[in-house]
Amino acid sequence: MIYYLLWPFLSILLIVLQNTVADIIFSGRLVLEISLVVVIYAGFRFNLIKGAISAFILGLVFDCIAGSALGLFALIYVIVFLFSFFMSARLVIEKSYFIALFTLICTFLEEFIVILFYNLAYGFELHNTLVVFLPQALIISLLAPVFFYLMHRVEVFFHGEPAQSAERTGTGRIPAEA
Amino acid sequence: MFFFRNYKTIIFIVVLLAAILIVLSYNLKQKSSAGLVTKIVLEVAAPVQNVLNASVKSVSDAWFSYLFLVGIEEENKNLKKKIDDMKSQLILYQEGYLEAQRLRNLLDLKDDFDFKFVTARVIGREQAALSKTILINKGTMHGLAAGMPVLAGPGLIGRVTDASRHTAKILPLIDENSNIDAIVQRTRTQGMIRGTGSRGCVMKYISKIQDVKEGDTIVSAGIGGVFPKGLMIGRVSHVDRQDAGLFLKINVTPSIDFSKLEEVLILISNDDKEGEE
Repeated sequence: MIYYLLWPFLSILLIVLQNTVADIIFSGRLVLEISLVVVIYAGFRFNLIKGAISAFILGLVFDCIAGSALGLFALIYVIVFLFSFFMSARLVIEKSYFIALFTLICTFLEEFIVILFYNLAYGFELHNTLVVFLPQALIISLLAPVFFYLMHRVEVFFHGEPAQSAERTGTGRIPAEA
Repeated sequence: MFFFRNYKTIIFIVVLLAAILIVLSYNLKQKSSAGLVTKIVLEVAAPVQNVLNASVKSVSDAWFSYLFLVGIEEENKNLKKKIDDMKSQLILYQEGYLEAQRLRNLLDLKDDFDFKFVTARVIGREQAALSKTILINKGTMHGLAAGMPVLAGPGLIGRVTDASRHTAKILPLIDENSNIDAIVQRTRTQGMIRGTGSRGCVMKYISKIQDVKEGDTIVSAGIGGVFPKGLMIGRVSHVDRQDAGLFLKINVTPSIDFSKLEEVLILISNDDKEGEE
């Protein structure tokens, strides 16, 4: 219960932090979407209900702060979470390049939904978006293995071994050994 | 009961997705300003953003103040020369201004807008995939409301889209969702400025037969009553007289560098304030 009370505040902190860091490094030209990596990580670690709620809250906070249409990123994050969750039961990701590749696929999925939404809802013709999206996707996919490794260390520090929900035991999982 | 137990996760996911889609479609249909959830999130985010912003600023200020010392003597000389040039220009402009005032009085023209300024500090720049917004440290408590125009220095920044009690969100003119009626100052040709993200803006709906050149100044048209007339938007950086289509493709470089924005001015209409009181 404490987790669900704390998660909105942690989400706000994460979104604000990632925007500030991106603003310093890229001067507002690129988005450093660590929140997407968190959602993918949740897909491999959390159970379905906890992970879906976490992804929903994170997406909603992202929508509120970043100024996109309310619900857009909540929808995208839940879809990415579900995709990661169902893939985790079929894939055993052990190598860092596999984590990077999977994150790249999820980033493209997210960007495809964003372009589709803007095109359908506002009729925008989004030419040259690849120029912005491609470096963003590459940066996030390169950061993902580092994030997974750090989270693995944190879990080992607190629990002695990576935390696994009872529901996920026996299915695919990520040792996150980068 | 058995069905529910077996399928409760599926039902949960379906309900969650349906709820998100309802929120999304409602938000698209209403096109309203911030709801309660957004206001609460902004209120919580503002202090966090303030703390982060202050710490980042103190580090970057220390670094840049060191960097600025390098070659400052040369820069000082150039600036002094520039001030002298500008002083002579200013005298000319003052003459022009006074002449315009006299002519205005003669013609008995009145301003369409009666504005007051509120100064606010930028506490964050938020970005999603195709949108960029700016967070400031003033909100409804200081008289801000959605739709108010925002300026910085000589140029237009955008407008307030959402305002909570202590913070507000600005939609900059370079955002893909931003559309502003504008005119080419030299020829008075009217068009519409649309944001293109980090690439700046484009001016749309200007016929191919119109005379628009690189370097032309673009100002707000004042149509619709949101933005006062004559606010600097930017300069034409490229004009493409493409073969297909009826209109020119005009790229505009904004007069403001949005990545270096620190303080902004919000124009509060006196009429609004009186209405609130």
